[in-house]
Amino acid sequence: MRNRNPVLTGLLLLVTGGAIGYGIGLGIDSLNSGILDWAGSVPSAFALLFAVTSFFLGVYGYRGITRGLVYQVLGTLIGGFIVTGIRVAMGLEPFGAFFFTEPAWVFGALVGDVSFLFGVGVVSDWVKWARGIDTPEHHEDEPGWGKYLGVSLDHKVIGIQYTVTALVLISVGGLFALIFRTELAASQLQFLTTTFRLFNQNGPQLYNSLMSLHGMIMIVSILLGISGIMNYVVPLLLGAADMAFPRMNAFAYWVSVPASVLLLMSLVLGGFDTGWTGYPPLSARAPVGVQMFFLGVFTAGWSSILGSLNIIATVIRMRAKGMTAMRLPIFVWASVATSIIALTATQLIGLSFQLVMFQRLLGMGFFDAAKGGNPVLFQHLFWFYSHPAVYVFILPGLGVISELLPVFVRKPLFGYRWVAMSSMGIALVGFLVWAHHMFTSGMNEYLRVPFMYSTLLVAVPTGVKFFSWVATIWGGKITTPTPMLFVLGGIVVFLLGGLTGPPNATVSTDLHLHDTYFIVGHFHDTIFGGFVFPFFAALYYWYPKAVGRRMNEFWGKVHFWMMTPSFFVLTFGMMRVGLLGMRRRIADYDPALGFDLSHLVMTIAGYLIGLSVLIFIINFFRSMKHGEKAEGNLWNSRSPEWQVPSPMPAHNYAVPFVVVGEPYDYGLPGSKYVEFVHDPEHDFHPESTAHPKMKAH
Amino acid sequence: MRHFVVVGILVVVAAVLTYLGLAAVGLMPVAASAQAGPIDWLWNLEIMTISFLFALIVVPLTYSLIVFRRKQGDTTDAEHVEGNTNLEITWTIIPLFIVMVFAYLGAGNLAEIRRVSPEAMVVKVTGIQWSWKFEYPAYGVTTTELHVPEGKQVLLQMTSNDVIHSFWVPEFRVKQDLVPGRITELRFTPTLVGNYKVRCAEICGTSHAYMESPVVVATQGDFDTWMAEQVQLAKEAAATPEGRGQALVVANGCAACHSTTGAPGIGPTWFGLFEHEVELADGSVVIADEAYIHESIKAPQAKIVAGFENQLMPTYGFTDEQIDDIIAYIKTLR
Amino acid sequence: MIHTHEKQSMLSQGILIFIYLAVLTGLEFFVAISFNSVPLLLVVALIKAVLVVYYYMHVYQLNADGGEDENSYEYKSGTNRLGLWLFLISDAFVFAGLMVVRVNLLGLTRPHLNQTLGLAVTAVLLISSFFMNRGETLMKNGDRKGFLNNTLITFLMGLGFLIGVVFVEWRLAAHEGLTPSSGTAGAVFYMMTGMHAFHVLTGLIFLGVVLVNGRRGLYDEKHYPVEAAAVYWHFVDVVWIFFYPALYLIGTALLA
Repeated sequence: MRNRNPVLTGLLLLVTGGAIGYGIGLGIDSLNSGILDWAGSVPSAFALLFAVTSFFLGVYGYRGITRGLVYQVLGTLIGGFIVTGIRVAMGLEPFGAFFFTEPAWVFGALVGDVSFLFGVGVVSDWVKWARGIDTPEHHEDEPGWGKYLGVSLDHKVIGIQYTVTALVLISVGGLFALIFRTELAASQLQFLTTTFRLFNQNGPQLYNSLMSLHGMIMIVSILLGISGIMNYVVPLLLGAADMAFPRMNAFAYWVSVPASVLLLMSLVLGGFDTGWTGYPPLSARAPVGVQMFFLGVFTAGWSSILGSLNIIATVIRMRAKGMTAMRLPIFVWASVATSIIALTATQLIGLSFQLVMFQRLLGMGFFDAAKGGNPVLFQHLFWFYSHPAVYVFILPGLGVISELLPVFVRKPLFGYRWVAMSSMGIALVGFLVWAHHMFTSGMNEYLRVPFMYSTLLVAVPTGVKFFSWVATIWGGKITTPTPMLFVLGGIVVFLLGGLTGPPNATVSTDLHLHDTYFIVGHFHDTIFGGFVFPFFAALYYWYPKAVGRRMNEFWGKVHFWMMTPSFFVLTFGMMRVGLLGMRRRIADYDPALGFDLSHLVMTIAGYLIGLSVLIFIINFFRSMKHGEKAEGNLWNSRSPEWQVPSPMPAHNYAVPFVVVGEPYDYGLPGSKYVEFVHDPEHDFHPESTAHPKMKAH
Repeated sequence: MRHFVVVGILVVVAAVLTYLGLAAVGLMPVAASAQAGPIDWLWNLEIMTISFLFALIVVPLTYSLIVFRRKQGDTTDAEHVEGNTNLEITWTIIPLFIVMVFAYLGAGNLAEIRRVSPEAMVVKVTGIQWSWKFEYPAYGVTTTELHVPEGKQVLLQMTSNDVIHSFWVPEFRVKQDLVPGRITELRFTPTLVGNYKVRCAEICGTSHAYMESPVVVATQGDFDTWMAEQVQLAKEAAATPEGRGQALVVANGCAACHSTTGAPGIGPTWFGLFEHEVELADGSVVIADEAYIHESIKAPQAKIVAGFENQLMPTYGFTDEQIDDIIAYIKTLR
Repeated sequence: MIHTHEKQSMLSQGILIFIYLAVLTGLEFFVAISFNSVPLLLVVALIKAVLVVYYYMHVYQLNADGGEDENSYEYKSGTNRLGLWLFLISDAFVFAGLMVVRVNLLGLTRPHLNQTLGLAVTAVLLISSFFMNRGETLMKNGDRKGFLNNTLITFLMGLGFLIGVVFVEWRLAAHEGLTPSSGTAGAVFYMMTGMHAFHVLTGLIFLGVVLVNGRRGLYDEKHYPVEAAAVYWHFVDVVWIFFYPALYLIGTALLA
């Protein structure tokens, strides 16, 4: 079986394992409920867990991610049975509609979460340290693609792991969107009807679950995508051999896998109907799927928090000599601003969800009006994170735009200091605006005015970025390969998103716009402009650095020209129907509103966007073997990572560099940004154990 | 420089065209409230500003892509321009000024739409998954339709029995959430006679898409006529068991799940239900007699109908007499 | 009061700071009982917190970057130190969020709790910080035995705090009708003390690991893990410095 195709083996085992899991689940469920629910939650949950685990078993064997998943499944079952046993001992009902009771599922999922981390092997070094055993500074990775499915401490491997996982989640989230967009293409319910049943939900309930998960899965994909770019690129830009805490880097990545499993479990375990925002009281009475959602988000939050911690520590402690604050690459400034937000604010979404979880499990009446609780308090806690979170989503992307423009226009970044400070300004002001999501919530009416002022204020540092970009491009010598197309597209799309912000910021107009498709259009514009387009730009741009080959230019342009006009059509359509009365989060709309044609057009646009992403993914994987070779400074960039050959050597810079000039001095004759200086103490010698820029514990 | 003049002209042209284009498309629904006036005014101002700013960025961008393209074979860099502090200050201060003006206008706008009329007609609104209930305390009438007279301010005092809902009539523009455990208020003055719809604007569960009620803006005369009818109907209904039962059904939003017409819904239809055979989820068959209906209301999870598993009907604190009235009403649905 | 690295003066300083903390706690209790001034209680808590953060957690050490050689133990420890403080800043947001919940739901009321028990567990935790500081100072000065003894006392006192809260205070409160589901006061009380207790538990695990490894001489040369365990322990103490008045002292007690 030496030459077996791992993907085919994986798919074969996926089907087999899924069938076995399905059978086990069906058996357990029928013993518990007395009926055979073919499309029920318990058989589907088991099928999902077994299928995913078996897939990786086929692709990779019993190690790394596979062992992690096996431990997660076992841990979930063990945890569930422990609670069930305690319930039996306490004389409580041991089983529920979804076989395990809700407390058993929650505890089981938590145990499964943690068990995954032990199974994949990402905590083994720390366990050794706790036992007083020392471990080597860095591990050598196995050659080939195998290293991506197991624990690696190399930030470049981790960056790619993050990126690929993000692409997987984008595909899943996008698929969910296509499903419900197909339903929305015409008024009245076509296939998600009240008589349709799947995963213990009828059509409209399934719609709500798919819609909610589209939101959260996409959000997690954004967090992973930005982590992918930041982890890959930041050490290279700083001249570091790796991140400050490589093991924590690996941990922060691997935690996202059980988190994603939990999010998928939420669909299958009865779903939930609250949207990604999870407001109680609705979330307090949603099916048990909402607990899987809460736990999945909680787990993903650890990734975000620990990843940001790493970025900040790396930037402060691991810079090349001569890299003063005002000589940092602009993307590093963006990464720092992003990380400050993610490090701190993320805890609040964890807290808000935790409080609802405990309200459900122990009857703690935080948001239960009958117990004196306050539903609006949830919204304050939730949005205190979730607004700054959107700046987490976009600041790296805006940093990518600032980083790439000088390369493709051959001109310095206009007003570098101001652009750097604008990222910090957006991060700071971003903490002061959260209640603009709550103008209709019943919060204190007078509080709405200060939040209107603070929200409008964010336009100022954002404006600085736009004007600086235009001034950078003006008078340049512009070329438009695919990365630059996505940079330009990002600018225009983000502009649209940004400009549709102020009508939401002014309270009176927001009273009309809130909870309509206008908002949906606004945030799709800002997210695509601030993340999706720059994400693709970054991938097309740095791909040759990672792989030593470039992605296909023709198909890159097809991707761009298929995605961009479709996206405009989609978001203009959204804003239009929203203004005319189309509310958010509805499975169906009144034909008398006359929205049918608009929705049909939006659905077609959605499919075209999906197709363009598919084209990208095929290009991404194909180019690894078949892309045109690109081993030098393909873009003629001044940045240090392009001064060494591609693919990037395993330990980055064999000869360290010193910063001797400004990063973006294109057009200044004789100027250099970095110089590579042999330093006998710090040069990397493969055979020695001492390691340049040695990572801290 | 020539470039700046050309771009300047193009920006103005593009801004005007964009604004005219957006205005022509007709972005807002018809304005039917006194609040819509100021809101649409501010919205219009914002559209103008958006059109200008859009042109201000996109025109120079597009212009540059054409005029400043790198020539074939040219491998040199462009002019080394690092920045311009005066320009930076200008494009920080001016936008700062503009946003502060908008915030100020926004505050004034908000005050205008919240203006209080002491003679406002009070309507108590209750949101229940998934229906609306409107009570007119001045008349002692409860309905599922909101009727209001033209030209008179309405004060909605709203709450929810279960989860967060939101009251929104697009033609009136303003919106306010209904929150369990508190009373939220919304004021509007309808100005255009017509038939509208209020649809829930905060996700509230399975049937959120269908949580709607008619909103009728009538002339004062027509409103008075309608109200007199409602008062009469309420009096008559209070006299009969089925009338009282129907009032309870309205008050508790049962029709959101149980249709009275035979149409499928979240719960079993009541049309033709009484003394009909019912198949339960466990496969057994029962007759929907008075005892069955009584139990189904008191203990909804006792007998789950096939096809409605996991639809969690809430419990209500009805007295036995109230349940008898409801059953009397259900009997009339055949 | 300037910081100094000389062993004896560090130990004396530790004692002095503890005396300040003890006096402030007594003052806090007295203020709460007599005239219940919220601003005064907040100021006292703030002063206590600053004392612990500056002197016990020696936050100023973040400034010392560990020299030029990035491969040295000192430099790497400096990076670790920064990492730990970033983690604590992040964790602080959870507790800040809980304080917001407490203020929003309870306002100027508080749950009805046993004051003697509250003061007792608070004293135990503060005293444990004192011994932790001693242990860390002694290890930094090469005294393994002193480090082990003092850290063991810290561990036992921490365990005592945990037992005092989870097995005594919670039992007592539930008996009086204050349960997680009895209302907002119960929900707030159990969530705040529960999250704090969870951090005490992880702190104890950290201390346990450091004790076991310390006995084997692992920290005789490389002290950083001891510092990390100590700083984390003091953080848990700082959280309680705010949670104690928030739950036990500020506002009028709700009858269960």
